[in-house]
Amino acid sequence: MRDRKITLLGPEGTNLTLLIIFLVLNFISWLTLFTLSDGLSFDLNNSLFRQIVFTLLAVFLFFAITYISMDQINQYTFPFFGLITILLIFIFATDPKEGVRRWYDLGVIDFQPSEYIKIALVLFISKCFVENYNKVYIGAFSLFSISLVFFQPDLGTTTLLIVITLSMFLVSDIKIRSILFLLLLGGVFFFIFLEFGLINQYQLNRVTNFFETVDFAQSQSRLAISSGGITGQFFEADKINQIFIPVQSTDFIFSAFAYQFGFLGVLLLFGLWIFFFYRVARIILTTNSEFEKFVLAGFSASLIFQIYINISTVIGVIPVTGMPFPLLSLGGSSIIATSVIFGIINRIFIENNVVI
Amino acid sequence: MFFQQKFRLLTTLIGIIFLTLLFNVYNLQTSDREASLVSVNKQTLDTFYIPSPRGEIFDANNNKLVSSSLEPHLFLNLRKINDNNRSQYEQYVKYNFVDLSEDFIDEIFESEDLLIRIANIQNLNFDSRQSLASLEAFEIFDFPVRKYEYNNIASHIVGYLGEPSFEDARDFPLSINPNIVGKSGLERYYQDDLAGIPTEIIFKDDEIEQIIKGTPGKDIFTSLDIKLQTIATESLLQGIELANGIYETKNKVQRGAIVVLDIRTNEVISLVSLPDYNPNNFIDGISRTEFNKLNISGAFINYSIQGQYPPGSVFKVVAYWLAEEENIYPEGLSSRNQRINCKGSLSFGFDDGSQQVYNDWKEDGHGNVDLGSSIKQSCNVYFWDIALKIWRDYEGSTAESILQEYAKNLGFGTATNIDLPYEADGVVADRELFENWAISQPERVRPEGWLGGDLMNLIIGQGAITSTPIQVANAYRTLISGNLSYPYINKNRESQPEESIGVTEDFVNFLLKDLNSVTNEGGTAHASFSILGNEVKDVGGKTGTAQNSGDKNNTSWFVGVDSVSNPRYIIATVVEEGGSGSAIAAPVTRRVIQSLREMEITPVKFGEITE
Repeated sequence: MRDRKITLLGPEGTNLTLLIIFLVLNFISWLTLFTLSDGLSFDLNNSLFRQIVFTLLAVFLFFAITYISMDQINQYTFPFFGLITILLIFIFATDPKEGVRRWYDLGVIDFQPSEYIKIALVLFISKCFVENYNKVYIGAFSLFSISLVFFQPDLGTTTLLIVITLSMFLVSDIKIRSILFLLLLGGVFFFIFLEFGLINQYQLNRVTNFFETVDFAQSQSRLAISSGGITGQFFEADKINQIFIPVQSTDFIFSAFAYQFGFLGVLLLFGLWIFFFYRVARIILTTNSEFEKFVLAGFSASLIFQIYINISTVIGVIPVTGMPFPLLSLGGSSIIATSVIFGIINRIFIENNVVI
Repeated sequence: MFFQQKFRLLTTLIGIIFLTLLFNVYNLQTSDREASLVSVNKQTLDTFYIPSPRGEIFDANNNKLVSSSLEPHLFLNLRKINDNNRSQYEQYVKYNFVDLSEDFIDEIFESEDLLIRIANIQNLNFDSRQSLASLEAFEIFDFPVRKYEYNNIASHIVGYLGEPSFEDARDFPLSINPNIVGKSGLERYYQDDLAGIPTEIIFKDDEIEQIIKGTPGKDIFTSLDIKLQTIATESLLQGIELANGIYETKNKVQRGAIVVLDIRTNEVISLVSLPDYNPNNFIDGISRTEFNKLNISGAFINYSIQGQYPPGSVFKVVAYWLAEEENIYPEGLSSRNQRINCKGSLSFGFDDGSQQVYNDWKEDGHGNVDLGSSIKQSCNVYFWDIALKIWRDYEGSTAESILQEYAKNLGFGTATNIDLPYEADGVVADRELFENWAISQPERVRPEGWLGGDLMNLIIGQGAITSTPIQVANAYRTLISGNLSYPYINKNRESQPEESIGVTEDFVNFLLKDLNSVTNEGGTAHASFSILGNEVKDVGGKTGTAQNSGDKNNTSWFVGVDSVSNPRYIIATVVEEGGSGSAIAAPVTRRVIQSLREMEITPVKFGEITE
């Protein structure tokens, strides 16, 4: 462990910018959920109250994760990856909910291991790269865990995991033509799966329907975003007709945000995230640890792609994919997984003595 | 090895992708905005709500009292009805659903609603359903069917359903959309729990765009024993019939109530009120005349918690407790065992110089009586003497209303907070209340205000006091268990901590012994209870006969305790205009006790006339 100059907030400390961005993003989520709900009541059925409880849990996790040094994280990467993979295997023994096996029912909350494979995979690939394992083996292991998610089935997360893997390979010392070869191989496998009926017809229909009909939720959310205008409806005295959008508090929350706070709000949200990624990129370029570089790149890819897919879905440029907006959408699993990512990034920041 | 060069390249690429995304959003929010606002304003998204199945209601032995089931119903999508196809659909409905009245069919087609429910098609076969569904204006949705399994039995507890009135909509805003609300009983008290979340059917113009499934309501598990409830209802009916056969009164006897409480937990085991109604009749709407008939008979009033009656002699236990607790006995006496000689009347003078004569119900008097035997024989003179003592010692001071304080500590004068709506408070009057009334309702009080005579009346449960049957049962339960709490029906109701009233075990034993003497040899209720044979030695109670003003017959009261050796149940019975408590209410209670003790149940027989 490197020498530490200054610490803020506690013995292990925190990067102040990161903490503030994290809190502001959570607060934006509260505000948006507030406009969607009938107000706050202290009852777990109230979506705003739920989100506040999840945020408190997330802040706790953020600080707790910061106490784990990167050396320890490096050390526990393989067991962690192994554990999550085993959990992904055993999920096939659970009862399906609405046709998919994605959750372990823990009573109060549902545990969704596919949220944590995003983290485990990034750590796993980073460590393998640093220790210079054969790239073919790394690819094979990654593909195995990804296929477990694919068969849940969860097409959204599968795509996300593939993108994370590809981006991490891309910034490594692998040759570009190998990646092209891999993509080609992936395409061939996709059609083989298709031929053997391993791809859910429902998921296929979603893609094919996209080019034929207009999805109700998407057309509604386009209207909502559009009627937000530059300044949004939140501060307007005369509100326009309420626009009905299905699942607006989870996957389609960006439409509610853009409707309430307009383009200025969207700029603010983008600004916060861009500033965050800018800070992360600076560390990537300056840190001496290869492990940290790959971890940061992997996490960034994960967050960026989630945001990209979510916004694209909501504005209707791609078919509907159930992908939450990190730290904005209602939902415990997503917030908690994201707070773990922020916690690790925070640790990397302070180990590099960047506290503000 | 991490490649910085490729990383920079990738970052730039991502930056460009996000700029196009942002540009997309910008376009949507600026240049496309006008067009969007127009279509938002044009957009007629409407929602039709179908209620979810309400929670079911069970008794303590898991018998289903109220059930809910989903059955397919035919709905008409009125947005798809136009001048061209209207007569065709009208003919179709008339021809296929012959049970529907002409008026109802006219109503259907004139409705402004989105959808209208035409009929239950549970009994139609698959082909008929298919052929209905093939017509474009017909829709088939599951609609909940509520059934009250025991009809009239326990109708006041479970309540009934109806369309929300203006007041209902204010109290239960969520009931507006599915347009159904609990009108009384548990259906109302637990409306929000029972109702669940309705299914939303979202229309865009005349097409159904989306269906958001609701969630069913929560079940309620009650402490009721439906078997006992049935027997108690029968017993009360028998008592009422008996009273009608014997008395020649102006008014027909038809109202009464029974409350059975579990002494250990204060759970409500039975709660009967007559006359009652069949909640099933309200499901598809009840006719105005039928409703009015029920309303005039008082069927919608739950007399067990809303009927406010002078308690008469059953109230004497309050003074009994006070005497023991405060050592206030008739003048010259200092313990429960010392006696006065009751000559059948009491004459005395008040400080204001007025001379009074009070006559006991028993003209010849009860002879030498102590505290216990005044309960046993329901001697008024003994209690009047206690009232006199209070009046002479404390008139005008704060201790003057010590009897009222004791009554209030047992829950008289305030609602017991049972989990049913519309509970009445009852009244326990004192000087202060009389002064308030003198201003607000001067016709209720004499100009002289609170007098010694009012206290004399109060101590035997007459005059300015009214109480509900549940209050009386709860007061006895409080005295015997030593704890005040609220009675409850829903076993999962958040329970209130029991509040100790500080009675000693000795006191409770004395009380039980004296209540026991009432049903035994020489007691006022012996005639009604002797049929229990040897087991009469283990039960107890107190009779009450409360006088009413005007030409109304007396209110018949009995509070029973089962058993004396192991106090488990309090049974409070009241028959409005039932006359003597020992003659009517006591044998009714006796029949309920026979059921509780799993004995042979014998018909209600007229007892002895006492107070």
